[in-house]
Amino acid sequence: MARVKFLCDADRCIECNACVTACKNEHEVPWGINRRRVVTINDGKPGERSVSMACMHCTDAPCAAVCPVSCFYTTADGVVLHSKDLCIGCGYCFYACPFGAPQYPKVGNFGSRGKMDKCTYCAGGPEADSSPAEYAKYGQNRLAEGKLPICAEMCSTKSLLAGDGAIIAEIYKERVMKRGYGSGMWGWKTAYSDSPTG
Amino acid sequence: MPGSLSTLKALCAALALLFVFAHPAAAQLTFKPTAEAVQEDKLLNALKEGDKITGRVSIPDKMSSSLIQPAGRDWRDFHRSKLPVIGGVVILGMLALLAIFFMVRGKIRIHHGFSGKTILRFATFERFTHWLTASCFVVLALSGLNVSFGRVLILPLFGADAFSAMSAWAKLAHNYLAFPFMFGLVIMFLIWIKDNIPGKLDLEWFKQGGGVLFEGKHPPARRFNAGQKGIFWIVIVGGVLMSLSGWFLLFPYVPADVTALQFWTVIHAVIAMLFIAAMLAHIYIGSVGMEGAFDAMATGEVDLNWAKEHHSLWVEEEKAKGHVPSGTTPSAVPAE
Amino acid sequence: MKVFLASLVFAAVVAVGTAMFLGGIQQASYSAFSTSGARVGDPGNNLMVPG
Repeated sequence: MARVKFLCDADRCIECNACVTACKNEHEVPWGINRRRVVTINDGKPGERSVSMACMHCTDAPCAAVCPVSCFYTTADGVVLHSKDLCIGCGYCFYACPFGAPQYPKVGNFGSRGKMDKCTYCAGGPEADSSPAEYAKYGQNRLAEGKLPICAEMCSTKSLLAGDGAIIAEIYKERVMKRGYGSGMWGWKTAYSDSPTG
Repeated sequence: MPGSLSTLKALCAALALLFVFAHPAAAQLTFKPTAEAVQEDKLLNALKEGDKITGRVSIPDKMSSSLIQPAGRDWRDFHRSKLPVIGGVVILGMLALLAIFFMVRGKIRIHHGFSGKTILRFATFERFTHWLTASCFVVLALSGLNVSFGRVLILPLFGADAFSAMSAWAKLAHNYLAFPFMFGLVIMFLIWIKDNIPGKLDLEWFKQGGGVLFEGKHPPARRFNAGQKGIFWIVIVGGVLMSLSGWFLLFPYVPADVTALQFWTVIHAVIAMLFIAAMLAHIYIGSVGMEGAFDAMATGEVDLNWAKEHHSLWVEEEKAKGHVPSGTTPSAVPAE
Repeated sequence: MKVFLASLVFAAVVAVGTAMFLGGIQQASYSAFSTSGARVGDPGNNLMVPG
């Protein structure tokens, strides 16, 4: 399978937060942990844009590079996951992540924030695929069932795309050609270090 | 009438179809509603060093309003590429310097040998404060170095599970021993500031190289010589910087801004490396580097000859107060 | 030696005491990030790994 990515077409995002709700429901994400969030730039001004942001599963993941206990790993599909058993909750991944993906169950006062949690591309974690243990620690594993992340599946305007990087980039290119303009593939250059047409 | 609703529906459908077919089947839209919208490229290029693209979120966590902070990648570069070099050069360099110094100069001996008489240098309370701060420093330094280098140096030796378990405890020790360290620092400052004010004598001491380079050369000094005053100020200034930066890392929601937190980790890491290097020199000279020095912090009583050679003016002051000699060293052999 | 050991004990006591105090007033994310309008009950334990 090829390398999977996320793409948020900010020209279609209507800030409905269906992606956020779908993720929260699918993985029973507790309140206070925001695996996916919608950020609105220039809110209320002309040219306002909303972008759905979660872990981008970067090509050369900075979180994995800075982790003092090396608890991250990248799957064959390019999904960046981590082990909550090895995580010591130090917060370094949060400082390195360009997208603010890492979340912690306790407010960082006192530096003991608990184990880091983040978007898993609906691919679970190191536990056995689709096991109850995996669900309790990392949430649903849709990828193991051949399904794409629920956030992109539930997107009401198909602004959030997930899947093979080449395919979704192609879809976005078609849209840009039809429109004659594009707000950009938010986060792609930072996450994947390749050109937007990539 | 039953038929009118379905007729109405059919009419509407036909009208809709009319609109669809009437629309120009062009490859590009003529009406571009969001063409003037913000573009990611423009925003990224307009960002200044360390700045980030933020927006409005409905989440109460202030830090989630950051959409893209490219500085995270620079921070990663610093921590994985530049910091190890800084730390390696400074710490290994200091160890090398100390080794060379020891091989060339050797242990600095008491020129006139042990006198067998002692003078009280540090009271119990002073030694307690020193050891409190010092022992906390050692654990803080080791646990801190584990965060920076453990993954490369220790993880391969013990495997992921054991290393993680150890690192989790090390992190807890680091977080909480910081408090007794800060406490010790404050006490140290209060009890020793008066003897650590720099003066003209210190300039003289430095000009004579502290007397360390040549056997028998002993520039005069008061209770603390210029080198010790240097260590005092390094500890106070370094300790304050470590405490301040560490405080923000312990309480990240005080600044609640990832860019500020990155800044504080850089301060914390760089000052730590320099601090550790300085303390290695201090530990060296206070233990193997100089005969008679360790007694000062071990028992508080130092040999009188040692004191006369290294802190002559202080001995005079103590004599004037009637504190000399305060005792004898049971195991020391008199000069004659 | 006594002074050294005493300093170790003191450091440990202060560290543990601080840990207990700070741990007691530390907030969970679900409580820290609930506004007055949100009525958050038990948020559940999914994704929460102890330690």
